[in-house]
Amino acid sequence: MTMPAMCRGTGKTGMMWILGFILLLIKLVLVLAVLLGMAAALVLVERKLLGRFQIRYGPNRVGPFGLLQPVADGIKMLLKEDIVPASADRVIFMLAPAAVAMTSLLIFAVVPFAEDLTVRGRRIPMVIADLNVGLLFVLAMSSISIYGIALGGWASNSKYSLLGGIRGAAQLISYELSMGLSLVPIVMVSQSFSLVDIVNAQANYPFILVQPVAFLIFLVCSMAEANRLPFDLPEAENELIAGYHMEYSGMRFALYFVGEYVNMVVIGSLLAVFFLGGWRGPFLPPIVWFLLKVMIVPFFLIWSRASLPRFRYDQLMHLGWKVLLPLSLLNIVVTGAVILVTGR
Amino acid sequence: MAKEESSIAKTAAEMVKGLAGSYAVTLKHLFRKPITEQYPEYKKPLPARSRGRIILTVDPDGDERCVACYLCSAVCPTSCISMESRERDDGRRHAAWFRINFARCIYCGLCEEACPTLAIQLTPDFEFCKDDILKFVYEKEDLLVNHGGRNQEYNFYRHAGLSEKGEKGTHINEKPPVDVKSNMP
Amino acid sequence: MPRLVIDDLQIEVPEGTKVIEAAERLGIMIPRFCYHKALGSAGACRMCAVKFIHGPFKGLQMSCMIDAQDGMVVSTTDEEAVAFRRQVIEWLMMNHPHDCPVCDEGGQCLLQDETVSGGHGLRRYPGRKRTYHDQYLGEFIAHEMNRCIHCYRCSRFYQDFAGYRDLGPMQIANRVYFGRFRDGPLESPFAGNLVDICPTGVYTDRSSRYKARRWDLQRVPFLCIHCSLGCSTVASARYREVVRIEARFNESVNGHFICDRGRFAYPYANLADRPRRARVDGEDASLAEAVRAASGRLDQISMNAGPDAVALVASDRCSLETLAVLKRISREKGWRHPAVFPRPDLEHKTRRAVSRLDRRLAVSMRELESADFILAVGIDPVHEAPMLALALRQAFREDAGIVVMDPRPVSAPFDFDHVAIAPAEIGGCLSRITEALSALQADSAAQGKETRRPEAAGPLRADLDSRIAGIVERLRGSRNPVIVCGTDIVRDSTPDRAADLARLLLQLKARPCLFFVLPGPNSFGAVLLAESPGRSFSDVVQDIEQGKVKALLVVESDPFKNFPDRERLERALDRLDLLAAMDYLPTSVVGRAHIVLPTCTVFECGGSFINQEGRVQRVEPVHEGGIPVHQVSGGGHPPRVFSHEVPGGEIEAAWRTALEVAGYTNARDNLSILKIMAEEHPGFARCRDIPTSRSFRVLPDAGDRPPVCEETGDRAAPEAADTLEVVLVDRFFGTEELSGYSPVIQNADSEPLVFLHVRDAEPLGIAHSDWISIALEGGGLEVRAGVSAQMAEGVLVIPRHRLLEWQKLGPVPAQIPFGRISRAGKE
Ligand code: SF4
Ligand code: SF4
Ligand code: SF4
Ligand code: SF4
Ligand code: FES
Repeated sequence: MTMPAMCRGTGKTGMMWILGFILLLIKLVLVLAVLLGMAAALVLVERKLLGRFQIRYGPNRVGPFGLLQPVADGIKMLLKEDIVPASADRVIFMLAPAAVAMTSLLIFAVVPFAEDLTVRGRRIPMVIADLNVGLLFVLAMSSISIYGIALGGWASNSKYSLLGGIRGAAQLISYELSMGLSLVPIVMVSQSFSLVDIVNAQANYPFILVQPVAFLIFLVCSMAEANRLPFDLPEAENELIAGYHMEYSGMRFALYFVGEYVNMVVIGSLLAVFFLGGWRGPFLPPIVWFLLKVMIVPFFLIWSRASLPRFRYDQLMHLGWKVLLPLSLLNIVVTGAVILVTGR
Repeated sequence: MAKEESSIAKTAAEMVKGLAGSYAVTLKHLFRKPITEQYPEYKKPLPARSRGRIILTVDPDGDERCVACYLCSAVCPTSCISMESRERDDGRRHAAWFRINFARCIYCGLCEEACPTLAIQLTPDFEFCKDDILKFVYEKEDLLVNHGGRNQEYNFYRHAGLSEKGEKGTHINEKPPVDVKSNMP
Repeated sequence: MPRLVIDDLQIEVPEGTKVIEAAERLGIMIPRFCYHKALGSAGACRMCAVKFIHGPFKGLQMSCMIDAQDGMVVSTTDEEAVAFRRQVIEWLMMNHPHDCPVCDEGGQCLLQDETVSGGHGLRRYPGRKRTYHDQYLGEFIAHEMNRCIHCYRCSRFYQDFAGYRDLGPMQIANRVYFGRFRDGPLESPFAGNLVDICPTGVYTDRSSRYKARRWDLQRVPFLCIHCSLGCSTVASARYREVVRIEARFNESVNGHFICDRGRFAYPYANLADRPRRARVDGEDASLAEAVRAASGRLDQISMNAGPDAVALVASDRCSLETLAVLKRISREKGWRHPAVFPRPDLEHKTRRAVSRLDRRLAVSMRELESADFILAVGIDPVHEAPMLALALRQAFREDAGIVVMDPRPVSAPFDFDHVAIAPAEIGGCLSRITEALSALQADSAAQGKETRRPEAAGPLRADLDSRIAGIVERLRGSRNPVIVCGTDIVRDSTPDRAADLARLLLQLKARPCLFFVLPGPNSFGAVLLAESPGRSFSDVVQDIEQGKVKALLVVESDPFKNFPDRERLERALDRLDLLAAMDYLPTSVVGRAHIVLPTCTVFECGGSFINQEGRVQRVEPVHEGGIPVHQVSGGGHPPRVFSHEVPGGEIEAAWRTALEVAGYTNARDNLSILKIMAEEHPGFARCRDIPTSRSFRVLPDAGDRPPVCEETGDRAAPEAADTLEVVLVDRFFGTEELSGYSPVIQNADSEPLVFLHVRDAEPLGIAHSDWISIALEGGGLEVRAGVSAQMAEGVLVIPRHRLLEWQKLGPVPAQIPFGRISRAGKE
């Protein structure tokens, strides 16, 4: 779609274009709402689940069963004072949280969440943008999100924040590599970078069956990318207080917070797309399958948080460079060999 | 070589076992009934030795126990006890004033441990909120109670050598005073 | 010098050092109770046991009883020794009461420390405890005998060291008791040291009873300003109140102890009626307003009547800082130089004394203790310079001969020859001694020549001759003689005569030998800073009466206390256009001043003082000032309001306020004051280089001064056969200004007596402790008389006691005809 075409927007093409635009907007709003709604719900779910894992109730005071807790949290965050430390780098300090939330949301742009709909002969893709290099886009976005953390930590001008930011950057670089490499076999098997094609390639069986190693590596790496326990070194409470977001308050802090939970959902959807066959599944409508698969990952992340202690920094690096990286390379070689031998 | 491999395998096995074990424990907990007590609705009776708001107790004969020896204020890690000692007309040493700043107290119980007269005692009362920080500053009148707390019997002055209500030589475990002008052995 | 090894460390110590002392020099503190550096060993407590491994002694021995000897190898940590000491402390605690919480010694208790260090925690002995009855020992010291561990320190101090007999051990074995035969105030003016010296809480300070624990106190090394000796103390404050004074060891001044005046005088700083608010014409004002008012009015008067119409009055309790600032502002403003001394003769004698002292002549109190012959003239040591008496006692214990030449019925804790002569005769005697000594010297230099008997330098009684000859002989025979000379009752020329004799002795013995006692704590500093000829307060009064002086700024001084004629002073002060008073005491002058500028005591702002041997001693403040919490709260709990300001905290040091009054607003920090001091007297320049904790002497080298003094004539005292010469004297309690405000001392003070000789009293029918009345122009004086044979005839010794209206007597020296003295009917 080119600019002149937009300007010329007359006749049928113009109408089609406007309709497409409206559909896109509707999709955008829907996806955004669902995504943010899920993130908010996830906050409550996490606290509730953690509570149960620790044989307690979790929040149960706001509304029935504490269901209104996310609302209360939201109101609280909105009403809190937005503090900018005197010696902080103001502009970067104020922008950094947005980078985190934005990138997590952007990743979702390429994630297909259901089978294409056909309404009156018109195919409506259930994805916001089916890029043919979708997978690369995902990797790129998740790399950008680290700017939010590193810059936020640096701009706060506080030793804890700075350490948190640096840790975040180092951790991301270390795990980004293995994460990318773990997806190479997927591309090799599905022969496409488009996420839609990848899902379609799993029409017969989900890739988790053929690529369990890649699945594991990806799972671990994405936990690290999401800064979730046991990889939450950038915000390790007991040594860095709150790490990179220590100086943040109010809605700016909330952006980091939202970013983290959106990230969980996004990771869930990526896992679903890459390994679990996306929306595919018997009996139930595709969107339900998709949501179910998506929810597996956040649950697992929360479960991990309740079960595992935090890594030490050297252990983190050891795992990233000396275990995951060789393993993912090996996986590529093995996959290549298998493809070579079987000719598929 | 083979040995090394087996050790790697062993480590890996241990790792998996460890991971699986911890996941299993938490998963098990997920289905247990929470042990949480719903605090404001249900108040658990606390053991008598719980460390909450502090009181100053009295002797069995009803006289205030504290002799203002300054030991609790010396031991208090937050320096929240202050007092001034004074000799009462009947010779008893007591506190002219005695102040605890509960806004600073951390309820560590060291004062109680240091007190040689069992005067200062922590009570299980922990529901202690005020709308003005100055209201946390308790004076002697606020701290004094009319009972002996956890020990109703102890009476420091009955053990001390100093004559207060009793004459010299009449306290617990004392011989009668030496007659310095007698030649009897 | 024996060389020995203690706990694997080698040390060489002087002959006669005890092993416990040698260990202490190595930093090893062997537990002890009875051993004390000043009192020596007694071997009473058995706490200092150590193991001797090699050398002349073997096995477990008391380290305080054994002199260090060559080749000794000693272990203080040997198992046997440790076990022994643990046992000893357990024995000692067997009878010790369960008193720590209510015992004032707790927190600074040697017994607590040694019990803990000995490892004794739980009582195993089930038997009963020994008890004692306690005694009333006076206002100063509380007695709680149950706590005694029988170390004998108290009796050794009280009887051996200080030389008083009324407290000591009684009974035997496990029942030994330390106290008096019957209840009553302790007689020794050094009894307060029992508090410091007793390792337990048997003797505690009544004045600070239950006030605070040691760890809560603000403690500062301090200085006593209640006589000219300047003993070292430790001052302690709590809740903005000075609560305790203890002795501090000072090698060259007071040694380990202080007197009771120095120990119990401090409550003057806590008085409820101390001036705390500035006042202008009877109205309370802020300090700044009052300073502005004073400054404005003084300037106005200097403008209208000339700067000479403004006079400054200070006193010898002012710090050097204050005196230097007063000197500076009086010079720059053209005001009259501060009059420090109340009487011209005092200022003259002090000036003479100070100008005759130099580095080679001056003896410190410690050196005095090693003298073998001491001639004290015109001084009653216990009353004028109490710690001097204790120093003389130490010399006496080392067999020094002591002669006291003084009209008073001197009593002191040592044996001495009392040459009881009138003040007028003292100077003559000194001259005759000097002459005789130099003649003898000349004789022995030119052997074989006929001995020339010295001529009497004045009209002296014949019976003195033999005694003077005796003194000359003893001076000649002694190795290390010292002349001690007072400056209060003697005639103007006496200090010079004493100095002449001292110079001669210096030539003969080549040892320092001159010790002056001056009128007040900073008299030395006052004359160093005074212009010459100095003016005393009586000159100022005269000038007021003649209308030359219109404004008076009285700085930390109470002329009413010293001026001999109260009514005249009142009349004079009423003539003034402006009477401004700066003081920390509620004096009569403060009461009647137009402008009152409160100042802070030396406890609150520190200061420098020069003692009688020229030693500059400086102290830091003990606390920051302000009205004591106790007074703010009325005894109950402190106020429950918070503020950044300390109530009464705006008061400043006198020198600061004085600078402000003179309009110097930017020279008020500590560096500028050091600069001002150095500019006013070059000797004080060292204050800038020497840390406050160290003292130094401002004496000139011997070469710096003209060798011969100017001859001073004495003010002639009218002589008549039927009169008594009035001698106004100081007393241990009651005459010194600051201690006079201390309620503790007021309670302990006994009734002042006026002394006269038996032979003077008999014809008048007066017996000891009779009431007599002395008829004077200004009304009669009713006092109780003391009659003594141990004093000069023809003198009436009257203490300048705060309860006696001696000011009615008029100027001294004065004569009172016998006819005016009679027995009073009063009982
Ligand atoms: S409980 Fe601890 S903090 Fe509180 S008053 Fe006692 S010693 Fe101080
Ligand atoms: S320790 Fe006990 S007796 Fe001592 S002051 Fe404190 S409360 Fe009073
Ligand atoms: S003398 Fe010492 S050990 Fe004895 S009661 Fe007093 S503080 Fe305790
Ligand atoms: S009263 Fe004190 S100094 Fe005297 S013997 Fe007893 S413990 Fe020693
Ligand atoms: S100190 Fe040696 S026996 Fe007491």
